[in-house]
Amino acid sequence: MVSPMNITNITRRFALGATALGIVSLAATTAAAQLRVVTSTTDLYDIARSVGGDRITAAHIGEGYEDPHFVQPKPSFILKLRNADVWAYVGLDLELGWMPLLLNGARNQRINAGAPGHINVSTVIPVLDANQAVDRSQGDVHPLGNPHYWLDPENARRIAALFRDRLSQLDPENAAVYSANHDVWVARLAAAAQAWQSDLDTMKDKPVVAWHTSWRYFAAYTGLRIVGFMEPKPGVPPSASHLAGLIATIKQTGAKVIIMEPFYDRRTADKVARETGATVIVVPPSVGGTKDVGDYIALMRHDIGMVAAAVR
Amino acid sequence: MTWLSTLVVFLVSAQPAPCLSQALPRHALSRVATGQADARLPAPDRRAPTNPSTAQPVSQGAPNARLIPDVSLVGDLIADLSPNGATQEDGTRLGVREIELALQAAVDPSFRGDVFIGFSDAEGVGIEQAFMTATSLPWQLEMRLGRFLAPVGKQNITHRHDLHTVDHALITQRVLGEEGLKGTGVWLGRIFAPFGFYQELIVTATERLGEAPEDLVTAEPTSRDLGDLAYSARLRNYWDLSNASNVEVSGSVLTGLRERPAVQPQGDINAVAMRQTTYGADVTFRWRPPQQGLYRSFILQAEYLAQLNEGGVFGLPEGPVEPTVLADVAGYYIFGRYQVSRRGYLGARFDTLDDPEFDGERTTAWSAYYQFYPSEFSKIITKFERVSPTGLTAFNRFVLQATFALGPHKPHPF
Repeated sequence: MVSPMNITNITRRFALGATALGIVSLAATTAAAQLRVVTSTTDLYDIARSVGGDRITAAHIGEGYEDPHFVQPKPSFILKLRNADVWAYVGLDLELGWMPLLLNGARNQRINAGAPGHINVSTVIPVLDANQAVDRSQGDVHPLGNPHYWLDPENARRIAALFRDRLSQLDPENAAVYSANHDVWVARLAAAAQAWQSDLDTMKDKPVVAWHTSWRYFAAYTGLRIVGFMEPKPGVPPSASHLAGLIATIKQTGAKVIIMEPFYDRRTADKVARETGATVIVVPPSVGGTKDVGDYIALMRHDIGMVAAAVR
Repeated sequence: MTWLSTLVVFLVSAQPAPCLSQALPRHALSRVATGQADARLPAPDRRAPTNPSTAQPVSQGAPNARLIPDVSLVGDLIADLSPNGATQEDGTRLGVREIELALQAAVDPSFRGDVFIGFSDAEGVGIEQAFMTATSLPWQLEMRLGRFLAPVGKQNITHRHDLHTVDHALITQRVLGEEGLKGTGVWLGRIFAPFGFYQELIVTATERLGEAPEDLVTAEPTSRDLGDLAYSARLRNYWDLSNASNVEVSGSVLTGLRERPAVQPQGDINAVAMRQTTYGADVTFRWRPPQQGLYRSFILQAEYLAQLNEGGVFGLPEGPVEPTVLADVAGYYIFGRYQVSRRGYLGARFDTLDDPEFDGERTTAWSAYYQFYPSEFSKIITKFERVSPTGLTAFNRFVLQATFALGPHKPHPF
């Protein structure tokens, strides 16, 4: 027979258990209330994280030291996307080689094209190299324009504004937080830009060679003058005849620097450098491209400082 | 070659104009312009782009007012330079093995459509795949209705022109067909991760096993009863071992009825529908460090397939028409490929199986490959293979393959 005391104890334990369960459920609800943002690149990841703060969880697919055109569409990425609320990507066909497999595999209606959680970031960017008649004889071209726009801080500011607006649309309760985070980040970026002003003065109109067209936006922002590319056409490895012409161009223009990403084979660039006296610098194009560029502002500070020192 | 000229005319007329982003929606322009007006960063004098004429704000996304589907084409060309005559199915040394035309687009908010039509000199025109995929099912289910490559084994779900080798492995060819096994029916797939890693279960129900033979007639259609349809299941398991390496281990089973010639035909009935069941297991290891991935990668893959025929382990059915005995088939392959440069890959494969083409005797084969990719849209493979059937003279095969792709950029197969 159950005594009244036991009933009280049981009731108390039940109440404690229910309370504990409620706390756990509340915590789970709070965690679930965070928007789950997945981005294609580390740069978008960092900007989203800066705007979203603790109101979102963020993850990225590509690494900063990886060619974003050739990310492996691993099934583990599908798991990341399966429960995402937001999928943000560079667009302009940069991720065309892998994104469709991941999105189709994830079967997540919240992030499919047309859904509020599907963010093609390039829609707010003034794109370079668009509106050109192209075909594949010109290499691995992007018919919609050059997708490497994040290397211009002005575009980064547009990206931040886009995240502020879209996160606010998806999560109106935290709109004020997103707006405040955005303003803080933009102010940090502006302050950093003031600090690297003298480097920009150094770089203005300096001739350089780049490996790929990925530095077009960086050049537009810094005033660098790209006089040639290591690739004869986008995505096509350098040929001997192209390199001969490039060496002549470097000597003619006085370019002192060859800029390349960490995922290309620098032996070819070194060969050109030996022929011309130019300096090869391996510049990270994305957040996490090297260990010391852990966020977007650090990336731009690092890259601008590195190139300025090389062309000085 | 009338079909080819018709195809070319169709492709030319169907391709969208190259300047896809010229006709911009006004709202997109104004949105971007608004963003520009709020400039807070210094150095406005450095804002001038390298080529100002190309730096106008544009919206991404090609206007496709006529809703033309993506049209793409893959050409698969073969040169068979084997020393003792051609070893191709159609007996030619130089041939267009296949032209595959793909039409792909969203059908409506609920379905996507994918159609692949194959053209070849040997087989004429055929529907390779044609399926609609439901895109908004609950529980993240994927459903396909139509004809598709059967999800049995690892190689069979890859188009032949996308293989790392010129042909499917010998065991795949013998068990599932030279071009792989297709089925017409329903496909259901679901991803889950109860143990923290990626798993996917795919089940299918299709009209029959492979293509219907034209010269074999059974008393009843092989799909008379629902239980006599062909059914398959495949479970994929995937793990990331590190940032650079991963492994996939999968298992498959396929069962259905297939016509088998009768010992003594009775009237028009010259075949008996007999159950055939195929089991498969495969493992794939991949290594590709993200930073060096443009130049270095490695794949090691092995696959085992066993086909059991009723009358073998299942026992012969009782009936008025006696079927011929069909031996069971089992075998495997091991394939490895190492990337030696940005464009070049070296590969090798070992095959062994109880070969029905050589009276069920054991056949082994070694093959070596060099793949060269001038770009993402073309590929040249050289293959040398030495095939050693038991009790027969070994023979060599030397085959060159060139493939090219036209149309929109396709995702890279994984």
